[in-house]
Amino acid sequence: MPQAQVTMDVRRVNDNASVIDVKGELTAFAEGVLMDAYNQASDGRVRAIVLNFEGLEYMNSSGIGLLVTLLIRVNREKQRLLTYGLSEHYRSIFQITRLDDAIGIHDTEDEAIEAAKA
Amino acid sequence: MTAPRNGSHRTLAELSVPSEPGNERRAMEAVADTVEGLGLPGRTLERLKTAVAEATMNAMEHGNRYREEALVLIEVSATDAEISVRITDEGAGPAAFDPETPDLEAKLDGAQTPRGWGLFLIKSMVDEMNVTGDERHHTVELILHLNGRKEASDGRKAL
Repeated sequence: MPQAQVTMDVRRVNDNASVIDVKGELTAFAEGVLMDAYNQASDGRVRAIVLNFEGLEYMNSSGIGLLVTLLIRVNREKQRLLTYGLSEHYRSIFQITRLDDAIGIHDTEDEAIEAAKA
Repeated sequence: MTAPRNGSHRTLAELSVPSEPGNERRAMEAVADTVEGLGLPGRTLERLKTAVAEATMNAMEHGNRYREEALVLIEVSATDAEISVRITDEGAGPAAFDPETPDLEAKLDGAQTPRGWGLFLIKSMVDEMNVTGDERHHTVELILHLNGRKEASDGRKAL
């Protein structure tokens, strides 16, 4: 199995929300890295997980599938999933797949963190 | 068979990649380099790159079963009216795509697998997709129309 070409650093920004900084490729090989990051980000009373896609270089259909898997877990834990930093191209893919109905899309980290309080 | 189109096709490049995970990005970038001089808008180029990557990944995974010695062949050609990218693997029978139209709600409810976005994504990115095959090959042809191409403000293709 090839190594995942991605890193995901987790930052707890307040009692309510954690940010996962995604850098690299979101493909099938990122599954372990993403789920580990989610487990770390969910520690405690976190109600919102924010994916920072400013460093996203590439996402394919398997990566979209991973986001759906993450959404299922987030929904099960009654958390919310938000993002910021998506390029125009990946924003359009979120629209086409309707992921934008289930994942809050924001321009900046401040906006996403503010939305997480609602 | 693909119906003949007006205008003579100029072959711009014939490429190949071994069936190794991750090589879809090599294919994607090579096609992007090939069409660089055609003046595609950035947004359209990104769409073509995504479609090429998805079709190449499908060819490596389902057609060639990730046998490294099995090549995926990529032919890029153009007329004044369109760009065509033909992606051929060494699989037999019908090309394997998940035929189920992905539905996010069904996936979140567990009625569909979280995966299965590839074909949907390809069809959403290009103007036409044609699949042909025989006992030794599958070919997926991706076509972008160069004239009168319009996109809705939300990024979807205009119908």
